[in-house]
Amino acid sequence: MHSTAHQATARQKARRGGSGLRPSLFLVGLLVLPALILAVVFKLVPLVRAFWLSLLKTQGFYDPTFAGISNYRSMLRDPMFEDAFRNALMVFLSLPVWVFMPLVIALLLFQRTPGWKFFRAAYFLPYMIAPVVVGIMFRQILSPDGPLNAMLISIGLAPLAIEWLNGPNSALFSLTAVALWSFFGLGVLTYLSGLSTVPQEVVEAARLDGAGFWRLLFNFALPLIRPVVGYWTVLCMSGMLIWMFPLVYALTRGGPGSATMMPEYLVFITTFEFLNRGKGAAIGMALFVFVAFISTFVVRQMYREGRGRQP
Amino acid sequence: MTMAMTNPAVRRRRRQRAFRVAAVGRWAVTAALVMVAVAALYPLLFTVVNSFKSRAGYAQNPLGLPDGISFDNYVETFIRMNVPRLLLNSVVTTLGGLLLSTIAALFIAYAVTKLRIRFGNLLFLFVISMLVIPSQVIIYPLYETILNLGFGNSYSGLILAYAAFGLPMSTYLLVAYFRAIPDELIEAARLDGAGELRILFQILLPVSTPAIAAMSILNFVWMWNDLLLPLVIMGGSDNTTLMVGVALLSGQYDVSIPLVSAGLIVALLPVIIIYFLFQRQILNGAISGAVK
Repeated sequence: MHSTAHQATARQKARRGGSGLRPSLFLVGLLVLPALILAVVFKLVPLVRAFWLSLLKTQGFYDPTFAGISNYRSMLRDPMFEDAFRNALMVFLSLPVWVFMPLVIALLLFQRTPGWKFFRAAYFLPYMIAPVVVGIMFRQILSPDGPLNAMLISIGLAPLAIEWLNGPNSALFSLTAVALWSFFGLGVLTYLSGLSTVPQEVVEAARLDGAGFWRLLFNFALPLIRPVVGYWTVLCMSGMLIWMFPLVYALTRGGPGSATMMPEYLVFITTFEFLNRGKGAAIGMALFVFVAFISTFVVRQMYREGRGRQP
Repeated sequence: MTMAMTNPAVRRRRRQRAFRVAAVGRWAVTAALVMVAVAALYPLLFTVVNSFKSRAGYAQNPLGLPDGISFDNYVETFIRMNVPRLLLNSVVTTLGGLLLSTIAALFIAYAVTKLRIRFGNLLFLFVISMLVIPSQVIIYPLYETILNLGFGNSYSGLILAYAAFGLPMSTYLLVAYFRAIPDELIEAARLDGAGELRILFQILLPVSTPAIAAMSILNFVWMWNDLLLPLVIMGGSDNTTLMVGVALLSGQYDVSIPLVSAGLIVALLPVIIIYFLFQRQILNGAISGAVK
């Protein structure tokens, strides 16, 4: 009792600017500065510099000159830029698969199917493998004489045995499928952790009442894990924009033509291969607007869970 | 309903049919799960098998099992890639990034949750909102900043970048965890005259091992697997990480698929070992803590 009163006066003092029980400035600095410096120097400052760079004309070794919005103009005229964002949009169209396939698998595992622990471990393994390794592996598997086509031919689906990574449409499809292969396990695990909050007794009671799989699904599981579905959807959306880099790098390098060019990969090659740093930064800012918009939802949720109750 | 009540034979038959439908359904579910598991495991299996084939053996029989097991590809991988050096680079940078982001996150999480400081919530919001800035968007200015600070082509440059990019998620996890630890525990220690750092390291740290373990596994996996940051910050040849090394190896014009396969296995073996060792923690909630 006494101590809370004490705290209250201390807080009042703190608000008035007095020292009271407040920790020493040295201690606060020691605790706060490492994180603050990391965040400011290696994230905020580069972001500001990226914006500044996007306003400069950079030519090889000459000193950059101020160029206003000409990088943005040239970016919007660039068919590659249009292709990159159109491809990103096409990948976005597969979002329902990204959201529901792991959900269905998680629900099947949640039924405690025999061997569910093995399945869970197997499904998560792809997520542990580095995306660049995944890309190189699938370059072999999807090659015209690779095992996928061999299997398709052997089961009599020879017309489907195409050059997966070389067709204008099949390349983007393959890239998306490989990305899905690589990340669906994380989705399964996410949903399972959400489902584990569904009380088992409730499920048992409903089952004794004769509720079938579908009723259990729609009446109990889905309403309870709706926030998890929302979280995973947002994560997939931001991931589709920024997870693809190593896969594109290892699988297709944006080709054939610009069939698998993604915004993040375009930033990379514009900067490091075409050596147009100003325009690369402009494309980066365009991508940033989308990513920031989507991931703000994640940050808002995180803030709600972690903020303190004091004013 | 009444008919079924009056006629036990009909009821039995109906129950049998329901049972048969359920059994068929269970088989279908298991079959589907097995197929997904095959799809999830086959690429890795294919790579392992190929890594033991000779170049000629792969040309004759690209898809089947090898006639004999040859370790030549692994030997050549070690010759071409300087595996020990790249492995060392990966270990040092990953552990360095892990340690630095954990300490920075521990400190700020403690300050925000357990000290009465002004703008605590705002600080927390600031750090986690750095999550909206992905490395792909700022890669060149980040590289430039690291160069300006004199950390180009060095372990410290990559370690600092890893730490900065791991920080938002780590801070969030620890803050959420520290909020659940009752303040009385800390007040009692303070009355006993313990300093804040001692409270952090001797009271909070032992209590939060589960959160720190979850966070470390998460950070280890992405830092070890990352391509873009080491590719840009560390430069090429021997001075880079295993992932960049294997990406460059696979791009060489004269490499065979068995050789690349061996390189891939070498690169991902450490993560696979971690996965088998910490499988229980990873699958039972390590990640779920992060993905609530």
